[in-house]
Amino acid sequence: VSSWDARNKVAVVGYAQSPIQKHAPVTLGVLAAQTARAAIADAGLTPAQVDGFVTSSLFPTAGSHAVEDGVSTVSAEWLASHLGVQPRFAMGFQGMGQLPGSVSLAVNALVAGSADYVVLHRALHNPQGSYHGNSMTRASGFQQWSVPQGFFGPLATIALTHNEYVQRYGASREAMAQVIVEARKNGARIPWSVWHDKPLTAHEYLAAPMINDPICRFDCDMPVDGVAVFVLTRADRARDLPHRPVYVSAISRSQPSRRRLPLHWPLDDIMSVGEDTARRLWSDAGVGPENVQLPQLYDGFSPFIYYWLETLGFCKVGEAHEFVLDGGIDSDTASGLPVLSGGGALGNGRMHGVPQMLECYLQLSGRAGPRQRPGVTVGLACHSSPHLGGAVIYSAEA
Amino acid sequence: VPDELSAPFWQAASEERLVIPRCRTCAVATFPPDVLCSACGCAEGFEFVPHHGAGTVRSWTVMRQSFLPGFEDDVPFVLVDVELTDADGVRLIGRLVHSDQSDLRLGAPAHIAWELLPGDLRAPAFELTERSVS
Repeated sequence: VSSWDARNKVAVVGYAQSPIQKHAPVTLGVLAAQTARAAIADAGLTPAQVDGFVTSSLFPTAGSHAVEDGVSTVSAEWLASHLGVQPRFAMGFQGMGQLPGSVSLAVNALVAGSADYVVLHRALHNPQGSYHGNSMTRASGFQQWSVPQGFFGPLATIALTHNEYVQRYGASREAMAQVIVEARKNGARIPWSVWHDKPLTAHEYLAAPMINDPICRFDCDMPVDGVAVFVLTRADRARDLPHRPVYVSAISRSQPSRRRLPLHWPLDDIMSVGEDTARRLWSDAGVGPENVQLPQLYDGFSPFIYYWLETLGFCKVGEAHEFVLDGGIDSDTASGLPVLSGGGALGNGRMHGVPQMLECYLQLSGRAGPRQRPGVTVGLACHSSPHLGGAVIYSAEA
Repeated sequence: VPDELSAPFWQAASEERLVIPRCRTCAVATFPPDVLCSACGCAEGFEFVPHHGAGTVRSWTVMRQSFLPGFEDDVPFVLVDVELTDADGVRLIGRLVHSDQSDLRLGAPAHIAWELLPGDLRAPAFELTERSVS
């Protein structure tokens, strides 16, 4: 069994998070540059010292929207050039699980010596008009296999997957209400969140009409404008910087699942690929689920919380809904697992895996302010579905 | 819009016949067909083989909102996810037709039906196979 040579050799040393809004008052590129300058300063550095830029610039819409660098997306190259930097290393991650993928690019660049200080950013845009509305009247290529039947859009995708779970295990909407209430409770406490001061009650969740049964609008994160930036460097350099370093201890990305219809995600595909992702994660990190005090699970669609709880081994397969209903993810109790203490995507807006990574960084570096949890040294940040995305283990010295 | 890879499927569909792509080398079914076979890795292509159209329900959802033009007047409609029998786990999604939504169960037997689309095209759909009273 080989071990991961890069374990704890790279650290997150600074960050900045923009306000998360339905529509930002400035263009996305402006917001990205401002946030990057703030993050570089937070790490005790100047832009001239930054020689690496990584991101994933995916604009995750099914709709008919133009993609323009600096406006609806921000690439690594765009950000570097607009900070006046000629980097040694600038690269974008292509694929799902954009945050674990970008962290992997940064770690590999730093360990290989391709860069000494890397800015990792994620810029998300909410276009005017319907996010997923699409004006196509003819379906070509891959979409010809599902569009003629009317199977289109991410809500239909997760609805088919989750109804399979609901029917197989008898999960109730009352259980799922606990997921959304927990995310919005924590998001309401976060000043930069689009849902700041706006918690949601279980009653409001249960009263919402279905869009694609058993999915309603509260099961899906809200599209937003927002930018988050992290600064990473090697552990030897991290010790000289102002904040407590938070080390990258393992990264696991999901490996391909079998070919299906476009956006068809059978539950068993998610679970089998996700269990393999988890196996490699624990093996590379040298820890197990019992060692993680802060498992920040991904919740772009609420059912992902169940699938991550089960694939990562925080509860048995088929039992996540009971675990949640029994208060298992209430971050305000001593026995509850804080899986959404950072608010997640449902509690912050569609920032992809940013809230999970940010909560790990803030809690492990001791910078969470009034939300600081005591004694947190091992965190986990997931992104996307267990069969498409990935997870990162972070750790700090006690 | 059919292309080189898919034309045999849509041609058969227009005649209300279900065919599924099987690798010319290893005969494993892959749906949708691909440029390479993921089971054996060969590039010999896929042969569209007739299928009896029977399967079992693995999931379903009610579409109450559509993000596509042309479906606005159709909602709500039910989509079912059906695993075809004798087809290496291939699953198709289609509209539920001629059936009562309240009869849907995981594992319920279903079989192919065809939904008429504009332009004399047909899309795969499914109806529940009559269940014996339990």
